[in-house]
Amino acid sequence: MKAGAPSPAEETGPPVHLRPAREADIPAVVPLVLRLKRLNEEFDPLLKVRDDAEPHAAEILRAHVADPKAVLLVAEGRGPDRDKIVGFVRAVVRERPFYTPQNEGVILEIYLLPLYRRHGAGEYLLRETSAALKAKGAGVVTAEFPAQNEIAVRFYAKRGFRPATSIHARPL
Amino acid sequence: MAESAEAARTPHRLARRRSPVSEEEAGRRREGQTEHLGQQAMDLSRFYAGKIETVPKVPVRSMHDFSIWYTPGVAEVSRAIHRDPELAFELTGRWNTVAILTDGSRVLGLGDIGPRAALPVMEGKALLFKFLGGVDAIPVPIQVKSPDEFLSTAEALAPAFGGINLEDIASPKCFAILQELSKRLEIPVWHDDQLGTAAATVAGMLNALHVTGRELKGARTVLFGSGAANIATARLLLSMGQDPAKLTLVDHKGILHAEREDVDELSVRHPWKYRLALQTNGGGRSGQLPQAVEEADVLVAASTSVPGTIRPEHIRAMAPHPIVFALANPLPEIWPDAAKAAGAAIVATGRSDFPNQVNNSLVFPAVFRGVLDARARSMPDEIVIAAARELARGAERKGVNAHHILPTMEEMEVFPTMAAAVADTAVSLGIARRKHTHEEFLERAQHLMARSPRLVRALAQAHLTAPMPRGPIGDRRSV
Repeated sequence: MKAGAPSPAEETGPPVHLRPAREADIPAVVPLVLRLKRLNEEFDPLLKVRDDAEPHAAEILRAHVADPKAVLLVAEGRGPDRDKIVGFVRAVVRERPFYTPQNEGVILEIYLLPLYRRHGAGEYLLRETSAALKAKGAGVVTAEFPAQNEIAVRFYAKRGFRPATSIHARPL
Repeated sequence: MAESAEAARTPHRLARRRSPVSEEEAGRRREGQTEHLGQQAMDLSRFYAGKIETVPKVPVRSMHDFSIWYTPGVAEVSRAIHRDPELAFELTGRWNTVAILTDGSRVLGLGDIGPRAALPVMEGKALLFKFLGGVDAIPVPIQVKSPDEFLSTAEALAPAFGGINLEDIASPKCFAILQELSKRLEIPVWHDDQLGTAAATVAGMLNALHVTGRELKGARTVLFGSGAANIATARLLLSMGQDPAKLTLVDHKGILHAEREDVDELSVRHPWKYRLALQTNGGGRSGQLPQAVEEADVLVAASTSVPGTIRPEHIRAMAPHPIVFALANPLPEIWPDAAKAAGAAIVATGRSDFPNQVNNSLVFPAVFRGVLDARARSMPDEIVIAAARELARGAERKGVNAHHILPTMEEMEVFPTMAAAVADTAVSLGIARRKHTHEEFLERAQHLMARSPRLVRALAQAHLTAPMPRGPIGDRRSV
C-alpha cells in the first residue's frame, strides 16, 4: 500500500507571509478562528463550538488588536494569493506572579488553511510569533491546544516544547 | 427539485419510443427477479447448508498413511518450519489459503449487520475464490468493534494464511485497517471494496479513453461518491498519470477541495480523503456535481443506487463524447439508455445485464492467483495497476469498442494472463518468495484456475454434491 503523503512541491520556503493584523483584517480572520475551533471540537466533546461563536470571535479579535500585550499576526499567501489572508496567530503575554521568567508568551491560536501548511510554514509562524512575544518581554513561550491533538503535540515537541502545565477537565 | 426530476424523466420517454420495454421498466422487472433469486437462495441455503467444505488433497491408502500426514511423521515437517518459518509456504497449504476477514460492518447494501449475518456472503466469496481463482478461501467473520481489535485479531490469524482478503468493512475504518495490516503482515492484504472495484474501474477507463481517442494524462475526470472504491480509484489514477489538477472528487457535501469547511475535520477523521482534497481539483472548482462535470471527459459514479442521481443535463455539460460509469448496485445512478440519449459515448455499470460490467470478480481471483503463486510478501499498488492494465489488454485482444471495454465473466482466458502479470510484478518489485518465469507463472495459473471447475463437475458427476433440487424443497437436505 502506498498511501503516503502527497509528493511535496519544490521546497521554496513557506508559502505565506506574516504581518501584524489590522482592524480591517478581522472579517477575514473570523472564519479562520471558527475553522480552528471546529477542528478542536473534533478532539473533545467539551470543546463543542457555540452557535454564537462568530460574533464573539470578532469581538475578541478587535480587543486583541488594541491590546499592547497581545500579538495578532495574519498570514497572507504569496504570488496570486498575495492579498488573501490564509492563516493567523493570536498570542498574549501573561505575567507570572510566582515564577521566573516573569513573563510568559502564550500562543492561544495558530491556524493555516491546509493548502498553505508544510514547506516550513508552521516553523516560520512559530519563529515569528516567538520573536514578537519576546519583543513584548516574554521569557518563555507556551502553546495551548486540545490534549488529544497529537499533530500539535508532535509539532511542538519537534521544536523543543515539552508539556509544562496540564489542564484536566470533567463535565459538571 | 420537481423540475430536475422532470428533466431526468425525459430521456426515459425517448427510450420508450425507441424500444418496447424501457430500461427503467426492465430495471423494475429485474427487481422482481432479485426477489425471486432471494427466495431461491433461502431455499437452496437450507438444502445445502453451506457452500464450501474442506476436502483432502492427498491420497489416503490406509490408516497407516495418517502416520505420515499426521503424527508421528508430521513432527519433522513442523520442526523444519520452526527452524525456517518461510518453509510454511512450501510444506503446507498456506501458500494457497486466504482468509476472508470481515467485521460485518458494511455488508453488501445491508449496512452493519454483524459477523454472523455476514457469513453467507463470505461463503459465497469463498466459492468464487475457489471456482475462479483456484484459491482456498476461508470465511472468517470476526466479532470485533474497534480497528485495533480487528488488527490484532488479523495478526493473530495470519500464520495460517498466504493472504488476507478484507471484505465488507465500513469506510473510513477500512482504509486504516488495510494500510496498517499491510504494514504489519508479511503476506498480501487486499480490500476488495477498495482495490477490486478500483482496478476494474481503472481498466475500463483505460479502454474507454482509448476508444474515444483520449489519454489518461489529459483527461478531466470526475469521481462522484467518495467511498472505499472511488478513494482507491483516485489513488490508482494519480499513480498512473492522471493529472491531479484535472481530477475532481464529489461527495454528498459537494466538490472536495482544500478550503471546504469540513477539511480540517477530514484531516482528523479521514486523512485519505483529506490528502485528496489538497491534491486534486486544480481549477479550484467548488459547488456540487453540475459544477464538477463541466467539460469533464470521464464521470465515474459510485454513489447512490437511485437512477436519476446522475441527470441527463449533467452528461450534456460534459466534454463531447463523454465516458460515464454509473457503478451503484443494484440500480445504476442513471440507466444506460438515458445516459446514451444525453450524449454519453461509453457507459459502464456494475451489472451483468448491460454491456461493460465493472465487476470486482474480474479482478480478485486473478490477483490472488498471482500473488499466491509468487508467494508475495505484500500487495503494493503496482500489483493492482498491473492487474488493471492486463485486464484492459484482455479486452483489447478481443477488440475494444463502446460496448466492450472490459472482458465479460465468460472471457475467462484473461484470468491466467492477469495472474501471471501480477506474479511477474511481484518478482520485479522484489516481494516474491518464489521467482518463476512468465511462462511458468502462466502455466501454473492456467492449471490451477482450470482445475476448480473440473473439480466441481467431477464432484457432481460422482454424486458427491447433490444436484440442484427441482420443485419445492421443503425439509429436504443435501446431506
